[in-house]
Amino acid sequence: MSRSTRKLILPGTIAALIVATVLLAPLLPLQDVRGMDIPNRFAGPSAGHWLGQDDFGRDVLSRLIWGGRASLFIAVGSAIFAAIIGTALGLLGGYFRGAVELVTVRAAEIILCLPPLLLALLVVTILGAGTWPLVLALTILYTPNYTRVVYAATQQVRGLDFVTAQRSMGTHPMKILVRTILPNVLPPLLVQMSLVVASAMVIESGLSFLGLGVVPPTPSWGLMIRSARGAMEVAPLLLVWPSLALAGTILTFNLLCDRLQSALDPRAVTAGGALWLRPRSAAAKKPATPVEADADAPLLEIRDMSIAVRDMELVRRVSLTVRPGETVALVGESGSGKTLTGLAMTGLLPDTLRVTGGTAHYTTREGKAVDLAKLDEEGIRALRGDEVSMVFQDAAAALNPVLRIGEQVAEAIRAHHDLEGDALQTRVVELLRHVGIPDPEQRVRAYPHELSGGQRQRAMIAVAVANNPRLLIADEPTTALDPTIQAQILQLFAQLKRDTPGMGMIFVTHDLAVVAEIADRVTVMYAGEVVEEGPVAEVFERPRHPYTAALIASVPEGGAERLTAIPGSVPSPRQMPSGCRFAPRCAFATERCTANPPKAEHPAPGRVTRCFHWETVT
Amino acid sequence: MSELDTSAPLVVAENLGRNFPTRHGLLGRAHDVWAVRDVSLTIARGETVGIVGESGCGKSTLGRMMMGLDLPTTGSMSFDGRDLSALSNPEMRKLSRRMQMVFQDPFGSLDPRRSIGAQIADGLRTHNIVPGSEVKAEVARLLEQVGLPTSAAQRRPHEFSGGQRQRIAVARALSTRPDFIVADEPVSALDVSIQAQVVNLLEDLRRDLDLAMLFISHDLHVVRHLCTRIVVMYLGRIVEEGPAEKVFGSPAHPYTRALLAATPSLHPGDGSDGDRILKGELPSPANPPSGCPFRTRCPIAEEACARAVPPLDPVGEGWNVRCIKGGPVTPATAQEVHA
Repeated sequence: MSRSTRKLILPGTIAALIVATVLLAPLLPLQDVRGMDIPNRFAGPSAGHWLGQDDFGRDVLSRLIWGGRASLFIAVGSAIFAAIIGTALGLLGGYFRGAVELVTVRAAEIILCLPPLLLALLVVTILGAGTWPLVLALTILYTPNYTRVVYAATQQVRGLDFVTAQRSMGTHPMKILVRTILPNVLPPLLVQMSLVVASAMVIESGLSFLGLGVVPPTPSWGLMIRSARGAMEVAPLLLVWPSLALAGTILTFNLLCDRLQSALDPRAVTAGGALWLRPRSAAAKKPATPVEADADAPLLEIRDMSIAVRDMELVRRVSLTVRPGETVALVGESGSGKTLTGLAMTGLLPDTLRVTGGTAHYTTREGKAVDLAKLDEEGIRALRGDEVSMVFQDAAAALNPVLRIGEQVAEAIRAHHDLEGDALQTRVVELLRHVGIPDPEQRVRAYPHELSGGQRQRAMIAVAVANNPRLLIADEPTTALDPTIQAQILQLFAQLKRDTPGMGMIFVTHDLAVVAEIADRVTVMYAGEVVEEGPVAEVFERPRHPYTAALIASVPEGGAERLTAIPGSVPSPRQMPSGCRFAPRCAFATERCTANPPKAEHPAPGRVTRCFHWETVT
Repeated sequence: MSELDTSAPLVVAENLGRNFPTRHGLLGRAHDVWAVRDVSLTIARGETVGIVGESGCGKSTLGRMMMGLDLPTTGSMSFDGRDLSALSNPEMRKLSRRMQMVFQDPFGSLDPRRSIGAQIADGLRTHNIVPGSEVKAEVARLLEQVGLPTSAAQRRPHEFSGGQRQRIAVARALSTRPDFIVADEPVSALDVSIQAQVVNLLEDLRRDLDLAMLFISHDLHVVRHLCTRIVVMYLGRIVEEGPAEKVFGSPAHPYTRALLAATPSLHPGDGSDGDRILKGELPSPANPPSGCPFRTRCPIAEEACARAVPPLDPVGEGWNVRCIKGGPVTPATAQEVHA
C-alpha cells in the first residue's frame, strides 16, 4: 500500500462511520426523535439520554443522528448533483469553446451574479420548504462553481500533447472528453467538492435556522442550532452538540477529499513534510574560520564531495578543480548530478539535500581559503553574487517578472556595494551594454516579458556578472535557445572571459559540441560520479572512459551510417550497481567491473578516468 | 485508393498559409500574423523530409496543418489524393488512422493517469485494427517493436524515463499502422545517448514500414543524419529546400549558411566563426520586414532585397532557394567535418 493510500484510512474510516451511523439510524436502539418529555426539558446528560434532552425534553443524541440524516443528505446530494451537471457544462464549454462555451459556461455564470442566499430563498419560496426544494436550490447554487473550475482545468488540459495525440488518432471528441480529459480535471474537482459539501451544510443549517429548510419537527442540525440558540443561557450544551457534529463532519470531508486527490494522482510526490520538521541543514554547519590560501592555490578545488537526500546519495565523491581564467565544462546526462554540484557551490541546494562529505576550497579575493561546503548561510551569502555567481537555464523563470530589468541588475549591485543614484544607474547601463543588449538606456526600463529569449538570457548574465565575480557557474545557459541565438550567447561568454582574465567558469551542459566550443577542460559525470576529466581537445581526441567515448559517438555529426546508441538508461539512485555504475550499459564491461568500483587512474598528466579498461578504450 | 501507385507523392501541400489574426484592445483592428506563408511541399512513401528552422519560423504550425489538426487559411493540403479541408469530421477521423504524430515533450504527450497499454490500445480500438480479443497481443507486439518489454503495458507513464516514453509515444503512433508520421522535435528533449536510440528507432521503422515522415527539428546534425530532403524555414516561408547533401554540403541561402555556422560542433573551427554569427534576432511575424524576410539579419543584403519577396528559384535538381543573391557555397566548417 502506498503512502498516499495509507493516508486515506483515517478520514475514510471516520467518514464511513458517520455515514453508517446516519444510514442505520432506523435500526439503532435510539429514543424516539419526537417523543416529548416536557417535565425534563433541558435535562443534562444521563444514562437514558447520553447527550441530555432539549427544550421539549426530546433525546438530543437521537435527534443529532436523525438530524445528520437530513443535513448530510441535502449537502452531499446537492454537491453530487451540482458536480455532475457542472462538470458536464464545464467540459463541453472548455473543450469546444465558441458557441458551446456561451450556452454552457457563460450561462452558468449568470447564476453567480445573484446573491446565493437570496437565490436559495427564491427557490424555497416558490416550491415551499422541505428537503427536495432545498436540494434543488443548492444544486442550482453550486453548479456554476463546478463549471468554472472544470472549465479552467479543461482549457489547460485540452492544449496538452496527449489530448492532441488522441485527436490525431481520430478519437471521437466525446470519447476524448470522458476518457482523457475528465480523469485529468478530477483533482481540482475533488477539492471543489469538499468545499461545496461544507458550504452546503452551512447553508442548509442557515436556511433551516431561518425556517426555510427542513420543516420541524423533523430534526436537522440547522434546526437544532436554531432551537438551542433560544435557550443558550439555560442549556449551553445543547448548542455545542450540533455545532460539533457540523464542524467535525465538514472537517472530515475536507480531509477525505484532500487525501483522495493525492491518492488519485499517479505522479504523487509525497512531500518532505512540514518545514519545521525537516533536518536543519544550517545546524550541521559550523562557521568556518578562513585561513590564508597558498599563493598558487586554484580558484576552486572540490575534493570528494558527496550530496545526499536523506540516506540516498545523489552525488558521490566528486572532485573538480577550477583555476583562475579557466573554463571547466561539467558534462553529463540528466540525473548525473552536474547541476547539484553547481548549486552546492552557491549554497542553493534544495532544502532536502545536504552536502554529506568532502571539501570545496575556494580562494577569495583577499587570498583567504574558505570551504564552500561547510560555510553557513551568512558566510555564503556574502560570497554569492559577489565572488561566486550563477547563470540559470531558464531566464524567463529566473528573472522576476514584475521588476524592470534595470532594477534587477541594480539589486544585485546594491547587495554587495554602496552604490546609489546616478553612479548606480550608469553602472547598470554599462553592464547591459557590456552583455550586448541594444539600446541599454531605454531597455533598463523594460520588463522581462518585453525582451526576447536571447535578450533575457543576456539580462540574467548581466545580473550574474554585476559584481565582477571570480567564479561564474553557468547551468545550461544556452539549452533553451535557438542555434543562432545560442551562438551569440556562447560568443558573449567567450568575450566575458577575455575581458575578465581572472574569472573562472564552470559551464554545466549536456551538449558535447558546446563543450568543444567553449571549455578548456571537461569533467564528465555519470550517475553522480566523475568518470573522466581532462583537457577538452585531448579527451575528445582520445576518450579514456567508455561512457565518454559512447557519448561522443552518439552525436550525429559526420557521416556515420548509424548512430551509436548507449543501450538502457541511467540507473536510479535507489538501485545503483555495486561495481562500476556504467557497467550495465558498457560494451567493455567484464566481471571485474561489476564486482568493485574502479579507482581513479591517470592515463596522462592532467587526465583522470575511472575505468579498469581505460587502456583499451578508444 | 492509390495504394499501388508508389511513385505518386502521398502528402501534397500547396501554397499553405496560416494566419492567426490578433486584435489589440476591444475595438482595435485585427492584425494579420502569418505563421506560415506559401509553403508547398510533397512527401512520397518511404521518404523523410526534414524541416529546419528556429522557434517562431512556423515549422510546428506547418506540421499540424499537414496532420489536419489545423486548417490552412490559404492553400490546400491533400493526403493520398484527398483534400483534407473538404472532408467531414467523421471522414477526417477515419483518415487520421493513416497519419500519426510524435511530439517533442515525452512527459506531456502521454496521459499521466492511464496505463500505457490502454493508451496504445486506443488507436487499435478506435479504428478496429485488430479484433478485440487480439488487442493485448498487438499491444505487446508494438511494445516489442519499439524495444520495450511487454510487461510495460500495465505501467503508467511516470514509471518510465524520457527515452522510454518517447518509444511509447512512437508505439502509440504506430498502433494504427499509419503511412505518414509527423515527428515534431521528437528528440530535442532527450539526452544525447538516448537521442541516438530514438533516431535509430525512427530510421529502422521508416525502412521496415516504408513510412513517409516529416521530421521537424532545430538540430541540424540530427536532421542531416535522418532526412533525405531538407526544407529550411525562416519567418513562415521556405528559404531553401533540396536534397540533404546539397543543402548542408553547399548551402545556397545565407540563412542556411548562418544556421550551419551557428551549430556547435565537436570539431570547432579556429575561432574565426565570430564574423559568421548572425546579428540580431528573428523579427516579429506580426510586423515582418518588407521584401526578403531575412534581409534585416543577412550579411549580404542590399537595397534590392527590400523591394519584393524573392521567388523560390531552382538552383539544381529538386533544389530551390529564395534569394536573389543565393548560390551554392561550400563552407569551410563543412569541409572540416568531412575531412
